[in-house]
Amino acid sequence: MSVFLQQLINGLSIGSIYALMAVGYSLVYSILNFSNFAHGGVIMLGAYFGLYALNLLSLPFMGALVVAAFAAGLVAVGLEKIAYSPLRKRNAPSLYFIISAMGASIFLENFVVATIGPTFKTYPEIFSTTPITFGAISVSRIDILMFVIAGISLAILVFIIEKTKVGLAIRACSYSARGSNLMGVNVNRIIFVIFLLGGMLAGVAGMLFGMKYTVYPQIGVITNKSFIAAVFGGLGSLPGAVVGSILLGLIETISAGYIASQYRDLIAFSLLIIVLVVKPSGLMGKITEDKA
Amino acid sequence: MKKKLTFLLAIIMIFSLAFTGCSGSGGDSGGGNGGDSGGDSGDTVKIGWIGSLTGDQAPWGKCESQTVEMLIEQTNANGGVLGGRMLELVKYDTKNDPNEAVNAVKRLVSQDKVCAILGPNASAQALAITNVLNSAHVSDIATVATNPKITVNDKGEVNPYNFRVCFTDPYQGAVAGGYAADVLKYKKAAILYDVASDYSQGFMQYFIETFEAKGGTIVAQEAFKAGDTDFRPQLTKIKEADPEVILMPYYYKEVALSANQARELGITATLMGGDGWPSDNLFEMAGKAIEGSYVVNHFDYNDPEVIPLTEMYIEKYGTTPEINCYMVHDAYGVLLAAIERAGIADSQAITDALTQVEYKGVTGTITLGEDTHDPVGKEAAIQQIKFNTEKGEYEYVFMQKYGTQE
Amino acid sequence: MFSWFYIEGILILVGINVMIVLGLSLLTGFTGLFSFGHAGFMAIGAYVAVTCTMQLNVPFYLAVLIGGIAAMIASLFIGYFTLNLKGDYFCIATLGFGEAIRLILDNMTIVGGARGLPGIPLDTTLVNVIVIDIIGIMAMAYLIKSRHGRNMIAIREEELASQAIGINVFRYKMESLAISALYAGIGGALWAHYVGFIQPLMFQLTKSTEMTIMVIFGGLGSITGSVVGAFILTFLPELLRELANWRLVFYGAAVIAIMIARPQGMLGGIEITDMFRWIKRTVTGENRRAKAAAEAEKEAKTELPGEGGGES
Repeated sequence: MSVFLQQLINGLSIGSIYALMAVGYSLVYSILNFSNFAHGGVIMLGAYFGLYALNLLSLPFMGALVVAAFAAGLVAVGLEKIAYSPLRKRNAPSLYFIISAMGASIFLENFVVATIGPTFKTYPEIFSTTPITFGAISVSRIDILMFVIAGISLAILVFIIEKTKVGLAIRACSYSARGSNLMGVNVNRIIFVIFLLGGMLAGVAGMLFGMKYTVYPQIGVITNKSFIAAVFGGLGSLPGAVVGSILLGLIETISAGYIASQYRDLIAFSLLIIVLVVKPSGLMGKITEDKA
Repeated sequence: MKKKLTFLLAIIMIFSLAFTGCSGSGGDSGGGNGGDSGGDSGDTVKIGWIGSLTGDQAPWGKCESQTVEMLIEQTNANGGVLGGRMLELVKYDTKNDPNEAVNAVKRLVSQDKVCAILGPNASAQALAITNVLNSAHVSDIATVATNPKITVNDKGEVNPYNFRVCFTDPYQGAVAGGYAADVLKYKKAAILYDVASDYSQGFMQYFIETFEAKGGTIVAQEAFKAGDTDFRPQLTKIKEADPEVILMPYYYKEVALSANQARELGITATLMGGDGWPSDNLFEMAGKAIEGSYVVNHFDYNDPEVIPLTEMYIEKYGTTPEINCYMVHDAYGVLLAAIERAGIADSQAITDALTQVEYKGVTGTITLGEDTHDPVGKEAAIQQIKFNTEKGEYEYVFMQKYGTQE
Repeated sequence: MFSWFYIEGILILVGINVMIVLGLSLLTGFTGLFSFGHAGFMAIGAYVAVTCTMQLNVPFYLAVLIGGIAAMIASLFIGYFTLNLKGDYFCIATLGFGEAIRLILDNMTIVGGARGLPGIPLDTTLVNVIVIDIIGIMAMAYLIKSRHGRNMIAIREEELASQAIGINVFRYKMESLAISALYAGIGGALWAHYVGFIQPLMFQLTKSTEMTIMVIFGGLGSITGSVVGAFILTFLPELLRELANWRLVFYGAAVIAIMIARPQGMLGGIEITDMFRWIKRTVTGENRRAKAAAEAEKEAKTELPGEGGGES
């Protein structure tokens, strides 16, 4: 029984990291109907920013987190300006966006490899690594921290979207960009805000990931899993991204712990296909098919 | 206009890179057409080196190539080889990709016409280049490539142009299994391995064989995929099986992560690993977690034989060398001995001489067996990781040399 | 200056890449679908073909074809479930697919697992590759010019409208995917018999993106472009050995630049036959006359100062 509980905690822990990563990605998708594959690169940079904020600027933890979030947000905004905005202005087909995103992600990952180097770096020990134990079950302090920070970030995000004027504009844009434009919403500014928010979430996710595991240029590859989680939960739905991620984390853990660890990713992938077949918009997704 | 400019810029960028690459690209071309046994090109004797200078394995590859350069400088300063000829190194980066290794070796044997090749430091690459070596009659001495099929193929025949100076996976796994059973007297072992790594799979297979043959039982066998960062599902399962020792036959990054997570989960079993462990960052990241673990290594760093080389490397490059430094030093030594014995810088003659020389290197006395092209009778060194309270840091403490009859 | 042994190797690689890029060009360049997992199809083609030649003593050409067909069948499976959905779902699914194939192969110790399969007979020669390439290019050109090809282009340009006028979007997407997988499988099989050794690690995500970049550079929607792209981008790494790290950085930046400034890449939409036609027309003076006629017409339409809007 305790083993099962431990696995449950493992799954939740893995899932919460995916959740933070997936939400930023889903946020962009829900408004722009576009998969920002470069999101992984921004998360990776978030991890590095946090590390440098701690080491070079000697900031305390919260300070470094804020710095990482803003820096990553700026990168995301810059990315949008350089790689996506010109395409948007020309109404380019979505294929071009995907290709440009791919190019951006390759650029970011290899830029870090070429400049900082491929060896992994570790975060200094800010929080004690001794876990909290309940009998035979152990929960690491960083996990608890992550839950808290993830929860707070998501709460802030939901607050912005539901309760503020900017949030109202965002929601309007997600239904119809053109219509909102006609109503006086400055669509360009909204897109700026969305990428900033998405980027900040990525920064937080990256720093937490780096603290929990380690920092290296290929972190972006792990985020591919979070894309799968977002699709699983339903592209375009923020709660869906969270639910999908937690579920994916749990499924991965159960597969590894109870079925066969070497086939873990295969099982996750098969489940994705099954979900797409049974409910094509994912668990909680919105239908975004164009109707003429 | 702006669009055309941007595009033009992109094209110019790419082509200017091509031209700088062209003029600077390593290896002077010896004239003419390629193919057969290469080597002699005037006054210098050319040796090739391939390995990973970029990518995950870069720290090892870089160390290896720097060592070779350092050694060649030394040899040339002492008068060169074959009565006064200078040695010249041509080195290529394989990016840890077997495909690149094939390209690089093709270039080495036909363009640069080297008489022998040192490296690579990875089995997949060494396997991939066999065909090229065979058709060009140029030998390669692998430094830390441990897959047995590199030198002896599936039918039991030896590959005529592949050699190595390190032990093989069967040997490494057997040593680990044997040591765990005989010396540490463990009966229950668990294994966490990387399903996407040939090194990991091979190591594990032979560990199991030996450990079980000596009466032990494998209580858990869990896998992950390279690139994973969270091993707790697998470790939780391993913890439930209650092993005395856990084998972690993979590389330092995953070792650090999994060791830390294992301790976090409350696992107290001893950990054990192979030559993929030692690296600069391992202690920084996981020192506490791996304290007391055992590592099967090619040799021991504190062996007095080894120290002069270590100091020479530190003086020249300012960093402590990795295992590859010592392995390539010995590969280089064997090669030089073979060149001298062959009397000419011809790749076929060198190949024949390789099995006939005996070289006393820093990792032991090396003779390459005729039917296996592997070093004969070399023992592995078992090290334990301990915390040195005087120096305030972790270090490898030599336990003993251990060999099997493999 | 360069030894033939070395150049021949690179040319064979070019030929292999051309095959794969052709298939990808059909999928991405002509039909507008983006695949992250084409390396998975290459892997299937490679492993199946190798099993044929090494275990079942099947002659080389046949084995390569069987490898391609196996990849095609796999693609039908994945296409069936995901092509009905929006493009993004397909992308992510191919991402998972590529990795899943690799994982399955890692675990199949009967074909070597992660440790790979050495000792593959070296049946791929420059002649082989050129022959297969020519057949591939001709078949692809024929397909593009046919109704199938035009339908795929329509789908890329405006999917909704295509559906509205009765094109069975799903069916043509499947066709496009199947053929691109066939080509990728053949390419993979050829590759295996050139290197002599395969392991699942050789077929990871970076390989898929490498191939896609070749399509983009060469130009979406152009067979000639894809061939040229494959040619240049296979030679380039050899020439750029010094700057290996930065090469990928520039590729990434160049891809973005291309999408913004010139999405057609180098030869998007232009085929080598177009160039022939252009040359012929220049030579016979037809171009000159057409240009003069166009200019005359423009002048006739220009308003003269002092005369208001008016009729032309």
